[in-house]
Amino acid sequence: MGFVWHVALRYFRSTRADAHIRVLASLTAGGLAVGTAALVLALAALSGFQNHLLEDLVRHTPTLQVEPGGRSGSANGAAGSAAPPVGRVDLVDRVTATEGVAAVQELLYARGWLVDRTGALAVEVVGYEQAPPAWIPVGDAAAPGLILPLSVALRMGLTAGGSARVVSPRAGLTPVGPRPRMRTLPVAAIYDSERAEYEELPVLLPLEQADALFAGGDRRLDLTLAPGADPEEVAADLRSAIAPAEGTVTTWRQANRALLFVLRLEKGLVFSAVALIVAVAAFALLAALSLVLSSKRSEIGVLAAMGAPPVRLQRLFLALGALLSVGGAGFGGAAGAGAAAFLDRFRVISLPSDVYIVDYVPFLVRGRDVLVVFLSTVIFTGAASLLSARRASRLDPVEAMRSART
Amino acid sequence: MIFVAGVSKAYRDGEVRREVLRGVDLEVGRGETAAIVGPSGSGKSTLLNVLGALDTPDAGTVRVDGVELSASRPAALAGFRNRSLGFVFQFHQLLPDFTALENVIMPGRIAGRSAASLQAHGLALLGQVGLEGRAADFPQQLSGGERQRVAICRALMLEPPVLLADEPTGNLDAASGAQVLDLLNGLQRRRGTTMVLVTHNPEVAGRCGRVLRLEGGRLTPERARNRERR
Ligand SMILES: Nc1ncnc2c1ncn2[C@@H]1O[C@H](COP(=O)(O)OP(=O)(O)OP(=O)(O)O)[C@@H](O)[C@H]1O
Ligand SMILES: [Mg+2]
Repeated sequence: MGFVWHVALRYFRSTRADAHIRVLASLTAGGLAVGTAALVLALAALSGFQNHLLEDLVRHTPTLQVEPGGRSGSANGAAGSAAPPVGRVDLVDRVTATEGVAAVQELLYARGWLVDRTGALAVEVVGYEQAPPAWIPVGDAAAPGLILPLSVALRMGLTAGGSARVVSPRAGLTPVGPRPRMRTLPVAAIYDSERAEYEELPVLLPLEQADALFAGGDRRLDLTLAPGADPEEVAADLRSAIAPAEGTVTTWRQANRALLFVLRLEKGLVFSAVALIVAVAAFALLAALSLVLSSKRSEIGVLAAMGAPPVRLQRLFLALGALLSVGGAGFGGAAGAGAAAFLDRFRVISLPSDVYIVDYVPFLVRGRDVLVVFLSTVIFTGAASLLSARRASRLDPVEAMRSART
Repeated sequence: MIFVAGVSKAYRDGEVRREVLRGVDLEVGRGETAAIVGPSGSGKSTLLNVLGALDTPDAGTVRVDGVELSASRPAALAGFRNRSLGFVFQFHQLLPDFTALENVIMPGRIAGRSAASLQAHGLALLGQVGLEGRAADFPQQLSGGERQRVAICRALMLEPPVLLADEPTGNLDAASGAQVLDLLNGLQRRRGTTMVLVTHNPEVAGRCGRVLRLEGGRLTPERARNRERR
């Protein structure tokens, strides 16, 4: 053990001898324990919730999507024409050929009506290619046809195997004048999702039908990436392969930018509020170290006189600060993580499930969160230690040794 | 080895300016021993602090062991003090949180050496001043004279080329005083140590090669006969 730790450990032990220093040392340790535990717990609760939310979001948003820019379909979309314009096929080909892209699914978004004898129901319509998108919880065995959300099916009294008429707001030109475009399609499946609570679920139908009905709708290419492919890299490749006029590439993060920002803001605010406890503990540490310094003044002077250079005296107080903090902070961090794991494992805190998306408070102890707590504790206590360390290193040995005698 | 020319030092006490050293000149060659005597408050400790790079003079040159003190940076001076100087402070200045042995080997720890490599030498030093049985005691458990002897062992630990001692035998009875002087003389003979001792004890001064008197801020040689008449 080097000189610095040798002396620091001895001084650490001596902090128990002085009543004032002992109180401040306990205050430091206690404050750091409470502070880090609260930080770890608060961040774990937030991470738990946000993780839940994001997982749900990821399931319902493709990692990458391309929105074709030009509305080529609207100009020449004749009724019944299912053939996509040449430019779009080319775009899909190029996207598919991009490295890291495993699969491309073309989707068409539009609004339309489901009509029966009693009336019409406005619905969001999604045209899908080959199979329904992964985020629609319906078995893949569905035959081509309409896939209805349960709420719509109930409203319209429809069941799988029946049929329904889909009407487009776009009129088609016929020899007898403009007529609304409509098709009657079989109901292939009915699905339900917990997202029904907070968003309108779409009606799905095969792309050719959707194309014919809603030729001017918004198109989107949902990309499935090869395992291990980095979405940002693939996005960059795509952006260089596609001219801005042809289409825009959006990553999952960009698509949910606002939400991600709010989540981070929330975490930052909670962190700052709870970190105040650690800041207060750091003040106690500063006071404790200042008392140690004034009670050890002459001894520091002697060490300097014997040739301990200023840097080492500085390190001595940094080490002492670390010794005074590490116990409390370590205990607090471990206790916080343990409590979070326990609360999550046994679902101790329950929530009304009809209000929240989960029926208990989930806790998730993330390595990154713990690292942030650790670093902030080190920064706060390090700053407090550094302040007294600098004073120790600037001590005038003669003055310091004189002070002990008078 | 030690070269001092025109050193002055004044302290400001409120409005009053007290000139403690007014142009002190001193030269001590390698292996020489100089005793400094003088009345209390004449500035003997101040001079020793200046020699030991602990205090900076207002004017003058100080060169010790080839190092020009006023031209050196604090970190360099710290290394110089550790390597080249042994200090015996007027008030022993032991570290209360460390045992006698730990105090003795502290200069070695500061120099970056391990406790294990220093222990044998530290124990031998303590033995030479009759404290072999007290190595594990803390300063509070020692008498004033015992503390003083531990402090002397600490100053000698790294066998420095220059030893500055402020009343090393001040608290000691005749027997332990003699023990300490034997230790110092032995070191001087073996290693050619240069020593500057501040003392009130005529016997200690008598064993030094030269006796200088500090009075009125000036250092003047004092002949042995004058001292004995006093
Ligand atoms: N830091 C200081 N501030 C003000 N005055 C000081 C300071 N240090 C020393 N002095 C004064 O300088 C004078 C010389 O002090 P010094 O300690 O050198 O005396 P001394 O010769 O060692 O005395 P003694 O034999 O009693 O130890 C004293 O009058 C003292 O009051
Ligand atoms: Mg003195």
